[in-house]
Formats: sequence, C-alpha cells, structure tokens
Amino acid sequence: MTTKQNGSAGFSRRKLLQASAGLGAGAALGGLLPSLSARADAPTLNMWWWGEQELPGLQAFLDDSVKAYSAASVKTMLQDTAVVISQFQTAAAAGNAPDIQYLWNGIYHMESVWLGYLKPLNGLLKDDVLKASQPTLLSHFGNNIYRMGWYPQPMIWIYNKDLFDKAGLDADSPPKTWDEMLAACDKLKAKGIEPCGGGIQDGYWGEWFFGHALAQQIDSTGEAIDLFTGARDFRDPKYYDPWTRIEELRKHDFLNPDMSSLGLYPGIDLIVTGKLGMGVSVGARVPADSKTSKGRIGCMVMPVYGKGKMAGKPILDSQGLGISTNSKNPEAAAAFLEYLQSPERLKVFWDKTGWIPANSNFDTSVIEDEVVKSMWKSWGQSENIPYVSNVVPGQFYEQALLPAAQQVVQGQITGEQAGELAAKIAGEWRDFNPDMVENYKKWAKDLSA
Amino acid sequence: MNRSRIAPYLYILPLLLLLAFVFGYPLVRIFEFSFKQVRGINGPWVGWANYKLVLGQDLFWDSALHNLFLLIAVPVMVGWSLLISILLYERIRGWKLYRVILFVPYILAIPIIAAVMKKVFQFSGPVNEVLRWIGLDFLALDWIGSSDVALWTVMLLIIWRESALGIILFLARLLSLDESLIEAARLEGANWWQRARYVLIPQMKTVIEFYVVISVITMLSSVFSYVYIMGGGRGGPGTSTMVIELYIFSALVKISLPGIASAVSVLLFLISLLLIVPLFAVRRQAYREEVE
Repeated sequence: MTTKQNGSAGFSRRKLLQASAGLGAGAALGGLLPSLSARADAPTLNMWWWGEQELPGLQAFLDDSVKAYSAASVKTMLQDTAVVISQFQTAAAAGNAPDIQYLWNGIYHMESVWLGYLKPLNGLLKDDVLKASQPTLLSHFGNNIYRMGWYPQPMIWIYNKDLFDKAGLDADSPPKTWDEMLAACDKLKAKGIEPCGGGIQDGYWGEWFFGHALAQQIDSTGEAIDLFTGARDFRDPKYYDPWTRIEELRKHDFLNPDMSSLGLYPGIDLIVTGKLGMGVSVGARVPADSKTSKGRIGCMVMPVYGKGKMAGKPILDSQGLGISTNSKNPEAAAAFLEYLQSPERLKVFWDKTGWIPANSNFDTSVIEDEVVKSMWKSWGQSENIPYVSNVVPGQFYEQALLPAAQQVVQGQITGEQAGELAAKIAGEWRDFNPDMVENYKKWAKDLSA
Repeated sequence: MNRSRIAPYLYILPLLLLLAFVFGYPLVRIFEFSFKQVRGINGPWVGWANYKLVLGQDLFWDSALHNLFLLIAVPVMVGWSLLISILLYERIRGWKLYRVILFVPYILAIPIIAAVMKKVFQFSGPVNEVLRWIGLDFLALDWIGSSDVALWTVMLLIIWRESALGIILFLARLLSLDESLIEAARLEGANWWQRARYVLIPQMKTVIEFYVVISVITMLSSVFSYVYIMGGGRGGPGTSTMVIELYIFSALVKISLPGIASAVSVLLFLISLLLIVPLFAVRRQAYREEVE
C-alpha cells in the first residue's frame, strides 16, 4: 500500500484494478446466482441408456438435451449391450436403480415390470405425450403402459438393386412370395451372385429371421407366447417352420458360404456393398446404407408363405425409456421424458442422429432420401405388426433361438430338429423360471385379445 | 511359553481377517445363492433345486465336456514350451530376439488377440486366402463358423498365447542351472536329445509341474475371454464353444438367474478341486523326493 503525503490511505492503480475486477466479478456472479440457486434446488436424475451402439448420434443428442435442461440435473450413463437388463435388475433389487432406464421392447422390460421394478407411465406422463411417443403393444401389461417410445425400429429385409438389375430382376418390384424369392435367388445364383443371407456368427441374424418368419404362421403375438407357456408346441411344423425355411435356403445353396464366420452387421454390409443379394436388416441403418449405396438399396417385407393373420405385414419395433420404481422423484423423471418429446428436442434428435424420433407429431417431410421416405411410409405410417422375437424369454433366446439357427445354417440339424431343441429349451425355461410362467400366461391373454 | 506361541498368530490375525473377508465372504455367499432362486440380489430358498436343474441340462454337460476337451492343450503346451525353451537355452543365433517375440503374445490383452484372430480365421479371412493361393483349398476350413472346428481353433489360440508363459518359465529355470552339468554331458558326447532328456528336463521337474497346474486351472476356469470373443459372445456356433465360465456368465448376466449361476460356480469350484488337489499331491511327493 502506498501512503500519500497527507497520510490518508489512497488507491494505487493496482488496487483500483483489483477493486474494479472484484466489482465486475461480483456483478457477474450476481447475475448467475439466481440460475445457480435454481439449479441447486433442482433434483438430480440418473439415466442409464443404450443405443449409441445402434444409432450413433444418440450420445450427442442426450448431451445436448441434458445441457439445455434446467428443471433437473440429469446424469447419464451409456450401458454395454450385454448388461442392459441385468445391470438394471440387480440395481433395482438393491434399491439403487436409476430414475430413467432404457428399455428394449417386450420381455426385455416386461420381466422388470413383473418384478415390480418399473412404474406405469400412464398417469405420470401427459396422456397425449405418451400416446404420441407410440409406445408399442408389447409395452402394455394389464391396463398400464411401461415404456415411452424413443425411436422407432422397422424390422425389414433389404436387397441390392444393382445386383437385381444384373440378374435381370425388376429392382423396383422385389419378390412378394416365398416362391418368387426362390426364383429370384435362382436368377442371382445363375449370374454368380450370392443370393441371400448375411452373418450369423454372433447369432442375432437367427433372431431377426425368426421374428419375420414366425409372424407368418401366427394370428397374434399371444399365440407366440403360448409356445413358451406350454399351451402350444414348437414340435408342431407350423411353429418350427422358421428354421425349415433356413434349411430350405441352405439346401438350395442360396446362403453365402461365409455366413457362419461373419457377424450380423458385417453381413448386412455385404448387401450394401453389392456382394450379396438380400437379407434381414433394420430401419435405423437405412439412411446410412442408402447413402453408401447411392440409393441402390431397396426395402421389402419378408416374402410371404405363411397363412397367419400377421403374414406379409411390416414389422415395427421401437426402443423406449421407462421410470424405475426406485426413483425418488418420478415426477421429475416424467418431466424430463416429456421434455425429450418436445418439438424442439425432436428436431435436435433428427439433427444429431439422422433418424426419426418416435413421435407421431414429428414432421417426417424432413426426410429427403427417397428410399428412407418410402420405407417409413410402408413401415411407420401403414398398418404394422409387433416384432415377435421380443416375447422370447432370455433363456430360450440364448439356448435355443440363436444356436438353433446357427446349426441349421451349417447343416448340423434340420428345421424339425431345431423345433425339438426349441421345445426342450422352452420346457427347461418353465422349470428354471416357475415364477415367470403365470405372468406369461396373462400376457398371452392380453396380446391375444 | 504359551504367550510366545500365540504371539505370531496375533500378528497375522488382522491379515487373516482381511483375507477371510475378501475371499471367504464371496465364497460363502456363492454357496448360499446356489440354494436360492435369486432374482436381482435375493430370492426364496429352493434347496438343491438349482443343482438338479443344472445337472439335468445337456448344455451344462456340453460345457463341462468342452472344458475337459481343452485339457488336451496342456500336454501340447508343455511339450512345445519345453522344446522352444531348450532351443533358446542352446543359444541359437538370435535367441534373445526370439525370446522377446515368443513372449509378446502373453503381454497382449486376450480380447484384442481373440478379435484379431477372429478376423484372421474367418472363412474369407487371410488364413484361408493363403491356403487357397498355395493350392491347399481342402485345408481352407470355416475355422470359427463350423461347430466341428471352432473349439479346435479356440484351442489353437490358447496354445499359441499360453505357451509363451511356459517358454519364459522354463527358460528362466534353465538359465539358473549349473552349466557345468550340461558341459560335462557335451564332453561325454551326449547329443541334443540326450542332453535335453537326461540332463535338462529332470532338473526342470518342479517348474514343469507348476506350469501344468497353472495350465489345468486355465483350461477349467480362465478361458472365458477367448471363447467370449471367438464364439460370438455366446459360445457359438451353436453351443460348440460353450464352456462352464461362459455358462455362468450367461446365467448371471444374460438370463438373470444368479441362483443357477452360483450353483454352476460351486460345481466348477468342486471340479477344479478334484483335478487340482491330486496335482498338488504329486507335487508334494516330488518335493519329498528332492529333499531325500
């Protein structure tokens, strides 16, 4: 401190600058304080989610949403695919589940509903918001809805139009019946093109094929559930038919020879890059695949052979979010979910992911790609059916559904033997999970109605 | 007198309590879980039901058989490691470089090695491409996609990586031997095989036994990472590479049946004990002989 000659303590230039800076900072903090105090009062929500693996851009969407949201502080955690269900259930049993949980459709969340780990969303979320999010039929149990739709997932078959042209097929009119498909495969094969298949090394191709194929033989999703409760039997040719179809494709040598050593997505890439004629895929991939192939990817419903009421109809699945019963602030969690469905957020979802959100009010005219537009019209805006693989119990999924298809593709077992394996594992599932069977029966009734 | 006897135990008591908690508590809980129908972290007592269900399931027995099948790799690994370590001990030209190269697989993470090998062994992968290129088409197999071949491929990978440990262990033992013995054998006119068979290997008995025990434990309960990656995350194709560890993982994580997973863990524990205890008995006997 300098002292002036009159003895009074005065301001040096440094002091003046310090004082000015202090005043400025004080003023700035004063401006911030109201919002900080508001943030301090805001509840903290935990959200465990999955999907970046399937739909790149979701992380950016969530980061942006969390940043822009002021009514609560939301902490997000991306889950690994292998633990989406078990991690939530273990945490819920211990009373530590997050407020908001990502939920796959059907049994993947219904089991948690039966264990009492999820809150019904009707009554928590505004009715119009919940309805607009298009929660699927498989999100219902009793009179309640347990998931809010997040983004839709059409289950489709795709084909390569260039290869169809090369084989002399009409690329704008893909096969509609199984016989037409076999004939198309013959033509593709004659031109040295691998007609059909993908990658089954990780098993998922078997699930996707089953989801399309079983739907052809049944009248309702409840009928599929009966196969697990014991009311119906996989040894009935009608129900082991999905594996018989794979067997038929293999016997005709229509499946790509490297199918067993390729994973699901590298298998789909074969179609996109013009090395394979056709196979199963999902809608969320189509924007990118259409771009890669310069619009030469076509989408189709699985060619029809079955006589069930669901045969030949497009399958629409949906990914979703729910609220845990452990949540200390379910209203705040519901408010955040509603916020994710606000028009502004839906736009950000589209911007960040390039895929449409699950909301019937979303203006899909933003879709420019003709392939994507046409697919959405057929799958999203027309009559569609649930994805029946979503009602398969976990044990059956791991020990029958995926291994059976792999073995049929390799010629290790026939379609009929796959049915026997499926019936055996369905029986074992009932033995291992006696507490689940009654719920399954009730669910079957709901879904058969 | 009494106090001096007790004193050492009092000193190590805190550590014993810590060890009991760290290792004992989970073990007790696993045994307890195996008698419950657990969902999440608790469930009703069901007695032996979990064991009955597991023992009545083909998949469990297939998994156990696959683990036993992998034991075939143990003598191969021992033989191969011995051969290579003795060759290196003979100081062949560039042996230090070879030693490093041979040990590299062991310090690489198993998931990375498995993921790379999965690409290498694909039906349209480099191995088959090379075989086709040199006209050996009949050897171009579906290494990871065929139920008949997949477990052999996994075993090949395990042998390749785990042998590195054997080579280093054996070489370390060889380098600590008294070289005058091997020199004497050389002067006596013993050829390479005779030197290895009658001079080197007998002196490596303890380390060989140790490696055998380690390898048996590996085949029974430490091959998860290999089969998880190579078998598409679920022991495929079909159930051809399913092993007990993966069965436990699947029961616990994928199908949410911790009670079943615990029962199988207990069974794996007992099977491992059954195989490992005799090996320790053999080791004890060898030690006695060495002392005498």
